[in-house]
Amino acid sequence: MDKKIIYRIVLIVVVVGLAAWSVYPPGERINYGLDLSGGVHLVLQVQTDDAIKAELDDAGLRLVSVAEEQDITLGTAISDPENLSLTFDVPAGADRAVLSEIVLDYFGDYDVQRGADSWTLKFKANTEKMIRDQAVRKGLETINNRIDEFGVAEPRINRQGIDGDRILVQLPGVDDPERVKDIISKTAFLQFKEVLGGPAPDRESLMQATGGSLSPENEILPGNRMGFEGEVIGRDFYLVKKVAIVTGRELRTARRSQDEYGQANVRFDLQPSAADKFGAFTESHIGTPMAIVLDDRVMSAPTIRARITDSGVIEGNYSIEEAEDLALVLRAGALPARLIYLEERTVGPSLGHDSVVRGLRAIVAGLILVMLFMVIYYKLSGVNAVLALILNLLLLMGAMAYFGATLTLPGIAGVVLTIGMAVDANVLIFERIREELKVGKTVRAAIDTGFGRAFGTILDANMTTLIAALFLFQFGTGPIKGFAVTLSIGILASMFTAVFVSRTLYMVLMRGRDRVQTLSV
Amino acid sequence: MRIIGDTHISFLSYRKMALGFSMVVILAGVAYMFFGPGLNLGIDFIGGTQVTVKFQDEPDLDRIRKAMSTISSATPEIQRFDEVEKHEILIRIENPGDAEGDFTKPILDALHQEYDLGLSGRFDLNTQGAKELANLLADSDPEGVLGDIESRREYYRAQAQAVLEYRKLQGLFASVDGIDQVENLSPEVAAHIKTIAGAGEFALLGAENVGPTVGADLKNKAQLAMLFSLLGMLGYIWLRFQLPYGIGAVAALFHDVLITLSALALFHREINLPTIAALLTLVGYSVNDTVVVFDRVRENIKLRRGEDLEKLMDDSINQTLSRTIITSGTTLMVVLTLYLFGGDVINTFAFVLLVGIIVGTYSSIFVASPVALAMNNALVARRRKKRRR
Repeated sequence: MDKKIIYRIVLIVVVVGLAAWSVYPPGERINYGLDLSGGVHLVLQVQTDDAIKAELDDAGLRLVSVAEEQDITLGTAISDPENLSLTFDVPAGADRAVLSEIVLDYFGDYDVQRGADSWTLKFKANTEKMIRDQAVRKGLETINNRIDEFGVAEPRINRQGIDGDRILVQLPGVDDPERVKDIISKTAFLQFKEVLGGPAPDRESLMQATGGSLSPENEILPGNRMGFEGEVIGRDFYLVKKVAIVTGRELRTARRSQDEYGQANVRFDLQPSAADKFGAFTESHIGTPMAIVLDDRVMSAPTIRARITDSGVIEGNYSIEEAEDLALVLRAGALPARLIYLEERTVGPSLGHDSVVRGLRAIVAGLILVMLFMVIYYKLSGVNAVLALILNLLLLMGAMAYFGATLTLPGIAGVVLTIGMAVDANVLIFERIREELKVGKTVRAAIDTGFGRAFGTILDANMTTLIAALFLFQFGTGPIKGFAVTLSIGILASMFTAVFVSRTLYMVLMRGRDRVQTLSV
Repeated sequence: MRIIGDTHISFLSYRKMALGFSMVVILAGVAYMFFGPGLNLGIDFIGGTQVTVKFQDEPDLDRIRKAMSTISSATPEIQRFDEVEKHEILIRIENPGDAEGDFTKPILDALHQEYDLGLSGRFDLNTQGAKELANLLADSDPEGVLGDIESRREYYRAQAQAVLEYRKLQGLFASVDGIDQVENLSPEVAAHIKTIAGAGEFALLGAENVGPTVGADLKNKAQLAMLFSLLGMLGYIWLRFQLPYGIGAVAALFHDVLITLSALALFHREINLPTIAALLTLVGYSVNDTVVVFDRVRENIKLRRGEDLEKLMDDSINQTLSRTIITSGTTLMVVLTLYLFGGDVINTFAFVLLVGIIVGTYSSIFVASPVALAMNNALVARRRKKRRR
């Protein structure tokens, strides 16, 4: 046999072999997109303003307590998140040199403006960026922990957005999407606070009890009013101290448990350092209520009956599922800032499954129609085209498996479209061959010119589709990107199969026959 | 076999009629889009929450509407999804004002309130997940495997997953007795599930929420992608052919996109990301046809130097006519299978391609070449004028 033909056949066998190898075992090597496997796609924005506010509030508390150690009693520091600053009054008799030292030692991230009787601490140039960045990173880490605890296979969690304050979460194969979303976005900031007043049915009556004005050291938080069996029967308000006794950061672990009536609750253990603080506080406050505050909501305000050191219970009329989830998020840690959903796409498993079934049906129906048409219209040459088409699909699958590309629902549409468009190259060639035969060329010459002339056209025509696919890829989100990839690979593969493979098939057909009189085209 | 033999149709002699016809259709379409009901933009671009649920029985739309009234002051759009006998419903709510926010949970809660009170706290086979079921089984341990809670959860996990697999294949559990159909369940577990679980009235098929930020983002991106792909085509054809051909091809593209958009407006089809993807694909496909014709024109110009361009173009269109029809035909065949069998999710996508391919085939014959010819003639006339001066 002609050496050239052998080389060609070897190349084809190698390419096809590679494709078959990378796609084997079929059905397992192709990644399904979320829209086919079912799952959740979320884009969350970290409210980094929360972190700024928290940092300022925290710095204010730190300042007051550090100053106290140096025997300087400051009033409350007022934080101003908009101007990224913190202002406090300097008492007349205070030692300003000591105060300057404190600021220098403990507040390196701040610039200080010293006024006559009040000082202002302001973020240094980089501080704001750093805090926002930390908040997103901590958010990312927390989400990772929570999803880990919940147990989702192959989650993808990435940071994105121009400001880098968005988090993309993709969770394939989730069967209870609402619950996962809840777990991810729960801030889960647990605090134990001293109760100064309440419960009261509204804010106003609490205010009146304190003389109409609210001290900056205290705050009013809403909470649930519980019935006898722990059911929520209304809303109550509590006056509490702003500074927490202990927060969720000092938690060692948390787990779902239940009370004597079988009502689900969450039992927690504190770290040893927190246990000391907690023990001291509860010992000195026996007989008074203490608020268990979750995300600025009083879950319950039990009366302290004895010294509590390292463990306790959160009650809140939870279902088993809710208690389970709360324990989970408490274990995984609080979010540094609130998250809001910018985008959310959930595909239930049955819809995804349905899409796969229907997509396959469309592919098979389209394939059969096109194959039948080609064989009827071009006879033996049509069989050649059909072979090329089957190889094209194999190459498409192989390339997708090899590059780890994701098959999506629009991607399936891309496959279907590829079937229709891949034969275009064959059609161009066959029509050209027919023309050349008609002007009286020999079969061999007609095939040569047909392939030669048609190739330029095929290249130009396919380039335009590739350009469109490129823009699609740029613009698209997951499923659309999948479509662009499938379409591009399909087109490139069709250049190989329709031009190179078909040509080789003709060569094999013509081999050894000097004068070929007729061509079935 | 041959569908189209040798043709000698003087397509270009109909150019005034064809262009006039196209103009009328486009103007009517644009008028309809701007002054009529307009384009039906989906939540990808205007933001909002869209939830698809599957019901046990034929759902009463009014009852759902009533249940939804508690959620938002904006009137929710409630419509059937897919085939009637599948009992699938799509609920869409716009975000009030410019607020970000996901309404999926409130929508589902409202539906639970309306439909699933009968469950009274039992495990819902149709909305809850495998993990929760495994936990419940581990708590009560019907098979008596003992061990600590974690190992029991591990043990019951596989059976819980089997229950969910059944839901995945069936869409939903018609009743708790559906448990008997689930494979690989031990009799104890099956019996226990029947005591703790119920089959709710509906199952969640899918939910989408796009906030105004992302919506505006996507809209912007879609417009840019559209614009740049048209420019890309113009550039490519200018490079490979000449400017008049590039203008002809892009004119045909505008023609195709505008008419397809009009069709989308006319049939009140929702425009979402996949719709834009289909439009972009259409752009690539439609140019494809035009390029084949132009390619032949270029070849003929070389072969038959000095001949009248109009005659050359006509011959080129005729020579490539059977290819144009066959390729459009095969592509149309597969798009039709997609339209018929691909399901509701992909239906609008297929619709765009279906309309687009027909319009695109027409335009590559009746719009691209005439415009290229007119541009070329104008260019030649200008050059002559310059030379004469």
